[in-house]
Amino acid sequence: MSLTRRQALASGAAVIAGTMVRPAIAAKEPILIGYLPALTGPSSSTGVGINRGVQLAVQEINAAGGIDGRQIELITRDTQSDPTKAVNGAAELTRGQKVSVVLGPVNSGESLAVVPLLARANTPQIHPCWVDTLTDPKKYPMCFRNAPTNQQIGGAANRYVVEVLKRKKVAVISDTTGYGTASVNAYVPMLKGVGADVVYQGNIDAANPDLRPELLRMQSAGAEAIMPWSVNAGFLSRIINTRGQMGWDVPIVGQTTLGSGQTKALLEKPEYWAKVYPNNFRPVCYAAGGKLSDRTSAFVDRLKSAKIDMADTLLWWIALGYDTPRMIAEAMKSVGTEPEQIVGYLNKLTEFPGVYGDIAFTADRHDGYPDNEVVMVEANSLRDGAFNLAPGYGS
Amino acid sequence: MVASIVLSGVAIGCIYALIAITYNVMFSASRVFSFTAGTLGMLGGVLGSLFIARMGMPVAVGFLLALAGGAVFGIVTEIVAVRPVLKSLDQHLYVLSTLALALMIQQFTAIEWSTEPQPFPRLLDIAHVEFDQQFWLPMLACAAVIVGLELLYRHSLIGHAFLAIAEDNYAARALGLPERRLRMMSYALAGAIGALAGFAGGEMLLAFFANAPMLTFYGFVPVALGGMGNNRGAVVAGLLLGLFQQTANFLVGGIFASVAVFTVFIIVLLARPEGIASPALRRRV
Amino acid sequence: MMDTQATPLRPSRANVRGSVSTLGAALPFLALLVVGVSLPLFAGGYWGVIATRACVYWVLVSGLNLVVGFAGQIAIGWVALLTLGAYTTSVLVAGNVMPALPPYLALAIAAVVGAIFGLVIGLPALRLRTFYFAITTLGFATIVTQVALAWQSVTGGGVGVAGPVFPEPFASQWGFYYFCFGLAAICTWMTANIAASRFGRALTAIRDAEVAAEACGISKPVLLGAVFLFSGAVAAVAGGLFASLQSYITPDAFTLDLSVLFFIAILIGGRSSIFGPLLGTILLTVLPEFAAPLVAWSTFLYAVLLLVIVLAIPGGIAEILDFKNRRPLESDRAIVPRPELIVRLLDAAPNGGALTLQQVALSFGGVRAIDGLDLEIRPGQVHGLIGPNGSGKTTTLNVISGYYAPQRGAVRLNGAAMHVLAHHRRAHMRIARTFQTPRIVGSASVLQNVMIGGTIDGEGTFVESLLSLPRHRRDEAMLRDTAMLALAAVGLEQLAPVRADRLQHSELRFTEIARALMLRPKFLLLDEPAAGLSVEEISRLSALLLAIARAGTGVLLVEHHPDLIFDICHHITVLNLGKTLAAGTPAEIRSHREVINAYLGG
Repeated sequence: MSLTRRQALASGAAVIAGTMVRPAIAAKEPILIGYLPALTGPSSSTGVGINRGVQLAVQEINAAGGIDGRQIELITRDTQSDPTKAVNGAAELTRGQKVSVVLGPVNSGESLAVVPLLARANTPQIHPCWVDTLTDPKKYPMCFRNAPTNQQIGGAANRYVVEVLKRKKVAVISDTTGYGTASVNAYVPMLKGVGADVVYQGNIDAANPDLRPELLRMQSAGAEAIMPWSVNAGFLSRIINTRGQMGWDVPIVGQTTLGSGQTKALLEKPEYWAKVYPNNFRPVCYAAGGKLSDRTSAFVDRLKSAKIDMADTLLWWIALGYDTPRMIAEAMKSVGTEPEQIVGYLNKLTEFPGVYGDIAFTADRHDGYPDNEVVMVEANSLRDGAFNLAPGYGS
Repeated sequence: MVASIVLSGVAIGCIYALIAITYNVMFSASRVFSFTAGTLGMLGGVLGSLFIARMGMPVAVGFLLALAGGAVFGIVTEIVAVRPVLKSLDQHLYVLSTLALALMIQQFTAIEWSTEPQPFPRLLDIAHVEFDQQFWLPMLACAAVIVGLELLYRHSLIGHAFLAIAEDNYAARALGLPERRLRMMSYALAGAIGALAGFAGGEMLLAFFANAPMLTFYGFVPVALGGMGNNRGAVVAGLLLGLFQQTANFLVGGIFASVAVFTVFIIVLLARPEGIASPALRRRV
Repeated sequence: MMDTQATPLRPSRANVRGSVSTLGAALPFLALLVVGVSLPLFAGGYWGVIATRACVYWVLVSGLNLVVGFAGQIAIGWVALLTLGAYTTSVLVAGNVMPALPPYLALAIAAVVGAIFGLVIGLPALRLRTFYFAITTLGFATIVTQVALAWQSVTGGGVGVAGPVFPEPFASQWGFYYFCFGLAAICTWMTANIAASRFGRALTAIRDAEVAAEACGISKPVLLGAVFLFSGAVAAVAGGLFASLQSYITPDAFTLDLSVLFFIAILIGGRSSIFGPLLGTILLTVLPEFAAPLVAWSTFLYAVLLLVIVLAIPGGIAEILDFKNRRPLESDRAIVPRPELIVRLLDAAPNGGALTLQQVALSFGGVRAIDGLDLEIRPGQVHGLIGPNGSGKTTTLNVISGYYAPQRGAVRLNGAAMHVLAHHRRAHMRIARTFQTPRIVGSASVLQNVMIGGTIDGEGTFVESLLSLPRHRRDEAMLRDTAMLALAAVGLEQLAPVRADRLQHSELRFTEIARALMLRPKFLLLDEPAAGLSVEEISRLSALLLAIARAGTGVLLVEHHPDLIFDICHHITVLNLGKTLAAGTPAEIRSHREVINAYLGG
């Protein structure tokens, strides 16, 4: 009785399995690349921007014949800014779809859960998240980061405030997300290390509609600069607006989202965007003569001809999204699609000349972005998605 | 500093009070609470932003359309989520049906409108001052609604009819009042009030789908504390809540502020389950 | 006249039918068990993760099902306990605050913490109205997440903390799956035991017929307390498993969407069901994985499902799968009581003390509902209470039942004063009652409804029912046998397995009487039991009530039907405007001039 039932179950299961698991066949099968962006949800602005670059890169690679004649098939699972869905998506990509490599997730909160899972599944991963603990060549030998770390970002901002703008009394503020709290925890000691006096430090609920009490506290504590660390455009815009309403003349130096099109749209007056200096990246900024580097100009032209919108996002997100599949494609063209091959290639990568930055890895260092390419820019110089360097910056 | 806390506290308190009045108007008409009250507040902001900022209509037109939209959603609530369950024996189904409807509207807004807060237009083209329009617009709205409702209930026939339905449903029907139509009108009115709350508060709260759960909770606290169906109690409690919240925000920070608000709320509620105002006797057996 | 044929009961056939139906009920669970155990044979690693997640969610939902589905408490924010359990387990294993503990111990401690907080979050339900309670649970969910965010030194704040890793053999993916599956199976078994116990039935009684539940002696605080403890504990265990599955937890993983998912799974599944919510949980976990675009719309779809269920099929999946209750009932069935069985049911001592009211007075606002009433109900006799509408008959009944406290005068049993307002204690004094409008649990079977009447006679504890220990099974057998006997006595044994909301009005009245008889009452209070009954049924009711009185019970009969009153009452009290108009034997009352003028008519 039970044997028959099990047999029936097994045969039924085989049918199901056949539809779920992809059969492994031969050569001209597409190369499967998994992709875990946050396209919806509260932290989706990064993911949406990066996505535009990723899609463009994959289209271009495929149009040029793919990798050794094999097309790239990008398998996307929207994490919805939710770590639970990110884990589900990662499991599906590795065990269900059996992808060769995973791009993303793009938010730190999701990556914290996904990185160990991908490591267990022996799948190479490239992600652009900033939280420092998200790479560890010993624990996660297949995980690489092609973006700066929190240390690099914060270091550039802190140095700008203290050494260039010569402000010693600093207010550090962020929201209550993982990224926000980790940033504040990391940057306050760093600031003290470069000789600044942190007169205010706070994690504020991003939904709080009125930040005036917080700014008044900063003001009464004698703050000479405000440093916000959040990817929440609503939160950042409220800080900028309140400073403007108060007529308080202090620089705002901090997260790159301060300069995004989304933040700009939420400002009450365009004038408020003056003296706002977000992080950005030298390769995608206007140099001294007001011109982009050749590589970046060509890229921007390609974006315009592909009618990709830059106004409501940041150029560096698109550039980062564009570079990542191309770096993978080069790796696969050079050595093949097996995990060990890809990882071996990356561990010896001395320079990948991306639009966003020149990426390099070693076996001991999986953080690929160079220090000197992290810069500060002037938010209100936004033109076609790129910015001028902030005043006082050497070239 | 104190001035800033008082301003924002009273302003946000007025928004909470208006949502509380939305709850109360719906409750008076049907004796049920609807989860859609906070969602209507959110819609006021979103529709205002949609019509004025995105579609470029003049402020007055956008305003009226937003209120109309709120009224429409109020009626939808009545038809879809309230009327069908009033007839059933299980009185608690309304909690579920209104919850489902509220969730549907919220999720739809999140996906179709945006998951991020969108800009809400500046309604009056005047300069920023300390006592800015983002603060006094909600206060004005709240005062207008209180006065308006008072005039409606005391001095108009329809207002009397609303009161009759609320006081004694059976007697009102026995007198021949068209109960269903009056309930629909009450819900339309409640919807408009909710949308007004979101619209007047739009410059503070922005057009953001996640305002809905926030307003659902914080808009209900004045109802619970002020007594069900009691608008005056709701307004007082709403203002106190807004001031308390902003003070706590300032003293202990955002995270602990919500803990503080909630703790006070639950302690008061457990001490007086019917609210601060005195309850009516209910015959159970 | 009544049937005089005394056909004996057929216990053997009832038992066989009972065990077949139990197997039938277990079949769907067994099918799922087989599929679950053999999953690795045919499913890939990805579906393994999804299945593990479904198991983890079900561990929480199985407990929440008792709160929401059975007890009817709208606890929307239960994700708070998932968060609590996840962080407690992770922090204890990670060793942030104290030396690292082994994962199983951490999980056990999380269960205890969860139980305590389950009680804390749930107890307001006893004081608050439905909507208020729902909102407070939502508030709790937010608060727990905020605390997790703020308490950085312990929880890691926004950065979060690594989830626990369970030791071999549960460390591998499939090993962990079997661990979660095992726990899910145990939770299914435990909650199914509760559902089939007097506690489960008592929960549904609190939900659907709270006043009747009180009259049966069911204590809402104690029962809900037990359920919140259990439900909190399993939710916290689910949290620990969740943290392990995620391998890393941050506060933003515990969204309102999750809470909504749990809640809707139960409602889609159907209340008072175990299998329905189980299927619902699996459905809601698995559904978004079938189509990528579905993921973004998942909460919207859950909400649509919830609305459809509430409006169209309030009984949910369980109702759809309830084939048993689709079979049509005989249209011209008759209620044929067997009064001779009453003697086997009741055993009141005919010389026990009387239940007396002395000069009882009670006013509602300015209205004097009862004004100086004297009443004596003697064991073994039927005492009638009649009078026009509004004369205070039902109020008198409610005073005796303990729902209202008299402002003057006393209610005594055997000379000793009874506690006022202790309506749930009356059952312990063996005082039973029926209600003007039948108060029954519509979604439960007639047999289950009657068994509710004997809840206080069970000896086993909640934990014994949870684990289906011998005393629980003895209780169940005892209650079942007594209930079948009571149903046979009132003439409804054919309808025992039928869902109560399919019954005719008159059958519901007799069901209430059967339920009252479960208490083996010394005193039986009946509130207009003949309303809506046909002439034939009234005469059968008379015979039944006389048999009950002859067995030694004192019966108080509040009624309008003069035939019933004059046929069977030994004494009659006539009320008018709260005062006694007349009192005496039926013959005296029938010819009493004032009574005729005020009430009986010429």
